[in-house]
Amino acid sequence: MNTFNVESKIFGSVAILYPKGYLNNLAAEGLEKECDSCISKGIKNVVLNLNGIELINSIGISILLGVIEKVKGTDGTLCFTNLSKLHSETFDMLGLTKYMKVYASEEEALAHLQGALG
Amino acid sequence: MKKLDKVLYSIAALVDLGEETASSEEFKKKMRTVLHVTMGTFLAHGGALFSFDKDRRTLSPIASRGFKGLRASKADPDSLAVFRNKPFKMDGADRPTGAFHAKLEKAGAELFMPLFARERLVGLIVLSGKFTGEPYTKEDFELLKVIASQIAITLQNHTLFISLTEKLDENKKLYEEMRVIYNDTIQAFAAAIDAKDVYTKNHSSRVAKYVVAIAKELGWNEMDTEGIYIAGLLHDVGKIVISDEILKKQTPFTPEEIVEIKRHPALSYNILSKIKFPWKDVVDTIRHHHERLDGKGYPDAITNSSLSDGAKILTLADSFDAMTQDRPYRKKLDLHVAIEELRRCLGTQFDNNIMDAFCHVLEKEIKGHLPEPDILPHLAQDFDPSVITTMLEAIREELSDGRAAHA
Repeated sequence: MNTFNVESKIFGSVAILYPKGYLNNLAAEGLEKECDSCISKGIKNVVLNLNGIELINSIGISILLGVIEKVKGTDGTLCFTNLSKLHSETFDMLGLTKYMKVYASEEEALAHLQGALG
Repeated sequence: MKKLDKVLYSIAALVDLGEETASSEEFKKKMRTVLHVTMGTFLAHGGALFSFDKDRRTLSPIASRGFKGLRASKADPDSLAVFRNKPFKMDGADRPTGAFHAKLEKAGAELFMPLFARERLVGLIVLSGKFTGEPYTKEDFELLKVIASQIAITLQNHTLFISLTEKLDENKKLYEEMRVIYNDTIQAFAAAIDAKDVYTKNHSSRVAKYVVAIAKELGWNEMDTEGIYIAGLLHDVGKIVISDEILKKQTPFTPEEIVEIKRHPALSYNILSKIKFPWKDVVDTIRHHHERLDGKGYPDAITNSSLSDGAKILTLADSFDAMTQDRPYRKKLDLHVAIEELRRCLGTQFDNNIMDAFCHVLEKEIKGHLPEPDILPHLAQDFDPSVITTMLEAIREELSDGRAAHA
């Protein structure tokens, strides 16, 4: 079974999401749901830490696009961190990288968001 | 290099699609996953899958993402046939017209592709523009055609499955209706038999209940129990042919009259053997309901080993009811007298095992162990429950001792 789960931490006006497992089946819609629940709490900016993601296929891409659209819909900012080489190559190949804010670490992403907010 | 990777990504998506369409997931989940695969492949931020209901001639959304306010809509398969399995741009010069398409375009749809399987419209796939804002390419169109044909087959299989399930339900309903008619007809027959003779009023329906009580006690299955119930209802149908004068006679029968009355099991058999009953042995059981274990019964004078359990049950139940109801020539017997008479005739007329089951079920009914008693409510006489219970227990013990001695 491909298992998937997601945890989240909230730092002020920023939520950090930690998806874990495979982004390749319907269970990964849990990521969108978690994002929805953060937005419903009034959070606009989201950091998506992909450290725990082992595999992304077309289903995962569709779900990530859904997350991007959701955050965009609240005029917030979505930052990606901790991409593996494979993740980077996939996003590059699909031409998505230029539409994503990618950072090496959570700290860098938070610094960017605070700078932008400050 | 990037181009090759992209081809590999597309192939991987087709593999995913194949796995998903073949999975045993629930249909709606499956279609939602298929929509994800399609959208992820083309980077569409919105997409929807519709299935076509050919009876209602309606396209209904079964999965959608990123589109708002999608509703079911009437569709004409013929007008969509020109777009069969080809992706079309919503704003193209050759685009279809109509309110539905206007609505889709308003929702953000950019690509539109009716899904056909074996020349029949089965659904529709709709995609928004790409997340990247880039236009769809020729390669995209070719890939979408392959994806769409797989989805079309999945939809078609689902439609076939649903219509088969509906047909099955319809057949079940028809069968149930037939059963009801069948049972009503048999009940009407039984009522006609009982109406022939006021003294045997409701005899058939009582015997039917008694035989069911015994059969259940013996652990018979539902089908066989239903069969013996029918046998109970119809066993005296042959009496319809016998003259009222004899049946209602209050003085002893002449030898000729006895011969006439004894014709009824064979007459019942002759009448009913024309009917192809769904239960086995119904007509044979009826034919033999006046046979005896010792071979002194009628019409065939066969003995114990040739008699079925069904015939033995019906014989006992028939005799028991005859004894416990008034007849033109005598008053009904007290319950304990009737039971004693059955006991006296064990081995010659009645079978030990059947008697044991009968005593057991009657005992349980008297003690109130059975929620829906079959025998007790029809006895129409007062008796001392403790006396009868003691009597039944004694008979059962005797039978059990007999079995032990025999073993």
